[in-house]
Amino acid sequence: MTATTGTAVRPRPPRATGAAPMTAARLLRIELRRNAMPLILPLIAALFWFDSYRPSTATPPLYVLRTFWNMGQGHTIVDFGPFVAGVAAWMGSRDRRRDVGDLVAATARPRWAGQLATWAATAVWAVAAYLILVGALFAVYARQGVQGQPPWWWAAVGATAVIAFSAAGFAVGAWWPSRFAAPVAAFGAFLALMLSSQTGFSSFSGWALILPTNSNGNFQPDSGMLYPWLPDLPIARILFLGGLAAAALSLLGLLPGAGGPRLRQAAAVVTLAGVAAAGTSVVLARTARLGPHGIFIPALHDAANDGSISYTPVCGHAAGIPVCLNPAYQSYLAGVTAALAPVAEEVAGLPGAPVRATQVGAAYDPREGGAGQAMTITGSPPVLGMPVGALGLAGAFGWTSGEAAGQYRLLFVHAFTGAGHGPGTAAQRAVQAALLQDIGVPIATQPQLLSSVGLPSWARTGGPHGPPPATGPVYAAARRFAALPRAIQHAWLAAHLGALRSGHLTLGQLP
Amino acid sequence: MNVELTELTRKFGRTRAVAGVTLEAGPGVFGLLGPNGAGKTSLLRMMATVLPPTSGTMRLLGRDPGAYGPRREIRRRLGYLPQTLGYYPGFTVAEFVEYFALLKDMPPRQVPRAVAAAIEEVGLGDRARAKLRTLSGGMLRRAGIAQAIVNEPELLLLDEPTAGLDPEQRVAFRALLRDFGQRATVMVSTHLVEDVGAACAEVALMDGGRIVFHGTPAELIARGEGSGAAGDAPLERGYSAALAAARSVAAA
Repeated sequence: MTATTGTAVRPRPPRATGAAPMTAARLLRIELRRNAMPLILPLIAALFWFDSYRPSTATPPLYVLRTFWNMGQGHTIVDFGPFVAGVAAWMGSRDRRRDVGDLVAATARPRWAGQLATWAATAVWAVAAYLILVGALFAVYARQGVQGQPPWWWAAVGATAVIAFSAAGFAVGAWWPSRFAAPVAAFGAFLALMLSSQTGFSSFSGWALILPTNSNGNFQPDSGMLYPWLPDLPIARILFLGGLAAAALSLLGLLPGAGGPRLRQAAAVVTLAGVAAAGTSVVLARTARLGPHGIFIPALHDAANDGSISYTPVCGHAAGIPVCLNPAYQSYLAGVTAALAPVAEEVAGLPGAPVRATQVGAAYDPREGGAGQAMTITGSPPVLGMPVGALGLAGAFGWTSGEAAGQYRLLFVHAFTGAGHGPGTAAQRAVQAALLQDIGVPIATQPQLLSSVGLPSWARTGGPHGPPPATGPVYAAARRFAALPRAIQHAWLAAHLGALRSGHLTLGQLP
Repeated sequence: MNVELTELTRKFGRTRAVAGVTLEAGPGVFGLLGPNGAGKTSLLRMMATVLPPTSGTMRLLGRDPGAYGPRREIRRRLGYLPQTLGYYPGFTVAEFVEYFALLKDMPPRQVPRAVAAAIEEVGLGDRARAKLRTLSGGMLRRAGIAQAIVNEPELLLLDEPTAGLDPEQRVAFRALLRDFGQRATVMVSTHLVEDVGAACAEVALMDGGRIVFHGTPAELIARGEGSGAAGDAPLERGYSAALAAARSVAAA
């Protein structure tokens, strides 16, 4: 069975030498025009509005609080991730679904290059939408007078997460070109994000910090106001997500027919590099520690980020002492001075009474949840340091102005008795209770105040059955001390404050 | 020779779709006839370098498609229209043809002109900006032909290219085939013997994975003369006679 026709082979057509970038750009242009991602973007935008923007407006007008909701807890990523993964899987499975496999396979360009153009268009749409929505979010915040610096690093983490979800989804679609690839990829992405969030609620350190929606990151109360946002953890997460994206995409280059031997070798190298980057980031996350300005990773940490942001404070007066806050907290100044005034008036003239109150940087301890941290009285002349960022703010998270004022007064008195970062000695607690009664917080209601969830755990009392009654030797001593005339109280405090603060006094030594 | 096949075989499990085909072809239009399941599509897919042969050797355009570099060179010079044309419904005709021109590594500066020319050649100039989902079956087939010829291929493989075309379009398509046959090797797989008679200089008849007849259309017609074979046209009778003769030899 031999058939023959014979004539000469005609000259070769011109080759596309040096034109690869232009070819890639034209392929990308076509893919951008006909990509499925724009069809889903209105849905993502609606979700972004309802899930990322609307709830954030219930928080105080500080970038760190507004964006803790949508970036710290990763709602922006949750809004994008599943849809992006699903659409990317749809695009990845396109050639097989559309029965174009043979047509494409018979072309000269490596299959991987064609796939990368399709993926790139999908990712460009998704990332552009993410950046536009986040940009609009920040613009709206700016118009609303939200204070502080936007968390650019965390926006970059979100953009990288979108890239990673698009890459992973595309790989799923390309490896498993079924009509079910898209829903499976979308649901898988959603499940992964939910697991990430759940792990994040309970994991404050270790590998879990690398998860994109783990909220125990750098959202320190005063980030972007008193000190810079630390980029350590965002860099690690970008490394992690970028590594996963590179590995997912380069796996496609290993498929038979993806390209020539050199291209497949390059794909293998990129796959290994991606896996190595992701693995390295996990190792780095395990070394993360909580510092005064947030989570830092020694290997990535730049000491230049440890400085403070200089600012001109805004000041008011509480019973004659200046009270100064970062201008970002200007709207809370009146409330803070009003809250401090009774205590300042009560302790005025006593040794160690602060001559000024000033805001200090607050550090968020995830084990304390939303609780505050201690006020301090340091220096000479003494200055009351207030970690306002870690304290309850009136109108935020359900705090009433009365509750916020009670918290400020309690912590001021607590600092004055020298109890520091603990519950204090029995004598200190008794004097604290007596002074609170003197400024109008009846002893009978103090257990209620002390059970506030806005307080540090060491200051809290009570349990599942509510606050305990104001009974016992501490409250008995407090009632005894509070019953004394103010002049006698002052005289005793003037004489014994040093001993009280050093913790050497017992309940029996109180008058 | 643009096509040199030696004892080419392709198996799918225990089935031998192509069973030792030896064939050589230079420029010209080459018709590939045969009943369903004869192995025509498998043979074209192997020549399109999308299906590796199980055994045998194949040289296309003077190169061995078994190695990546030569295979890529072949693909640059190849046009292929599969039997079942998949397409992207959201693409316009022009985008679809441009997309494949770019995948074929055409110099990007030449692509716009080549795309326009290919679309005009298949008579879709007025539908260039129409989305593929809006086209009829015949128009889709022509869009498929346009992508196959956009790179001025030296080897053009067309699997059932006239399926779905109306008579006027088929006449125009045959003229296109003859034109391409002047400068390239065109292999056309078809059930429609009149296409072969009108456009092909040579024809091969496949049955059971083998080539059972090879010659000119006139020689195929001669096979049918006086044979009493079924058919409404001389070429059909030649087709039936050649097929019957091959089957009787195989049965013996």
